Amino acid sequence: MRILLAAGFVLFNVVIYLMMALLYKRYRLPVLLPALTATFTVVVLLLGFHISYDTYMIGGQWINRLLGPAVVSLAYPLYKQRNVLWENLPAVLGGTITGLLVGMLSGLLMAASLGFSKIYVLSILPKSITTAVAIQISGNLGGDSSLTSVFVMIAGFTGAIGGPYIIKLFRIRSESGIGIGLGTASHALGTAKALEYGEQSVSMSSVAMTVCAIVGSIVGPLVAWIMYH
Amino acid sequence: MKIIRVIAEVGLLYVFYLIGDYLQKLLHLPVPGSIVGLLLLFVLLLLRIVPVKLIENGSSFILAYLPMFFIPATAGIMNHLDIFSGRGLLLIAILVVSSVLTMVVTAHSSEWIAGLSASRSSRRPYRARGIREKGKEA
Repeated sequence: MRILLAAGFVLFNVVIYLMMALLYKRYRLPVLLPALTATFTVVVLLLGFHISYDTYMIGGQWINRLLGPAVVSLAYPLYKQRNVLWENLPAVLGGTITGLLVGMLSGLLMAASLGFSKIYVLSILPKSITTAVAIQISGNLGGDSSLTSVFVMIAGFTGAIGGPYIIKLFRIRSESGIGIGLGTASHALGTAKALEYGEQSVSMSSVAMTVCAIVGSIVGPLVAWIMYH
Repeated sequence: MKIIRVIAEVGLLYVFYLIGDYLQKLLHLPVPGSIVGLLLLFVLLLLRIVPVKLIENGSSFILAYLPMFFIPATAGIMNHLDIFSGRGLLLIAILVVSSVLTMVVTAHSSEWIAGLSASRSSRRPYRARGIREKGKEA
């Protein structure tokens, strides 16, 4: 019975995702991104049919288990872009480290000073890091993975929708600067937006996204430690 | 046939994840085990110990369907729906402001660093020639 239930929820998850992916393929609107619409549909259906999250996770945990190898698989695009990485190593490393520190500290300080409890503050910390890595960092630090996952999406949309305005307003001039900025602040959603600024932007953004995940998983615990010790 | 290849390669990626997780626990690293696995695979690819062909199909498959793997974790938000109302909206504002800041600081500091190394490398050929000539004299 439990196995059937698990298989059912896995299937439910996959079917909804594939339907939403088709919808996105047809209309290409950022609000129709499958990560957003599929999660929304799943939540609405679970709430509508009074199914608890724990029940859904009997199947969901099996999909969750693939997050580990999903993070490992990021080594492949990084390897393919290794020449871009070596040629721009100082700019990519310097940019992501400074950006991550400012991003993490600003988020933590604003949330803490507005009186949000520790679990929210720690869940905000890895917001600019790609979801699969962010939820692990958040979980390790004592944040809430699902809050972090939603926060990561908000950070992604900020870059994907607000990106063009930010670039103009703050005079970001080079294709590389745009790419590294979008990849560090808005991970995969930012990298998708970087497509519009040329090939150099996309490859820099995808490299910055992965470097940001690696650097962020080292810097994140450090920032949390400074904040709460 | 391709499906079997993909499954086998995903299995291999899973093994890297397990090794990363094991190393993380063994050495008490502050970094998640999956990141240790990523770095390990990246280094082995660079050293050509693991040929890229061995993980190409599996990685592309996982990355193509990546958002699907986030759904269960993200759906947990159904227990925190309060963040979309009242004071929770402040959190969203904080996230937007902090993300804008991240993007601006990252872009400008990387442009500044790129500018520094560009002006250094434009001087480099001159100096390099000098060194080579000195070498010839000796």
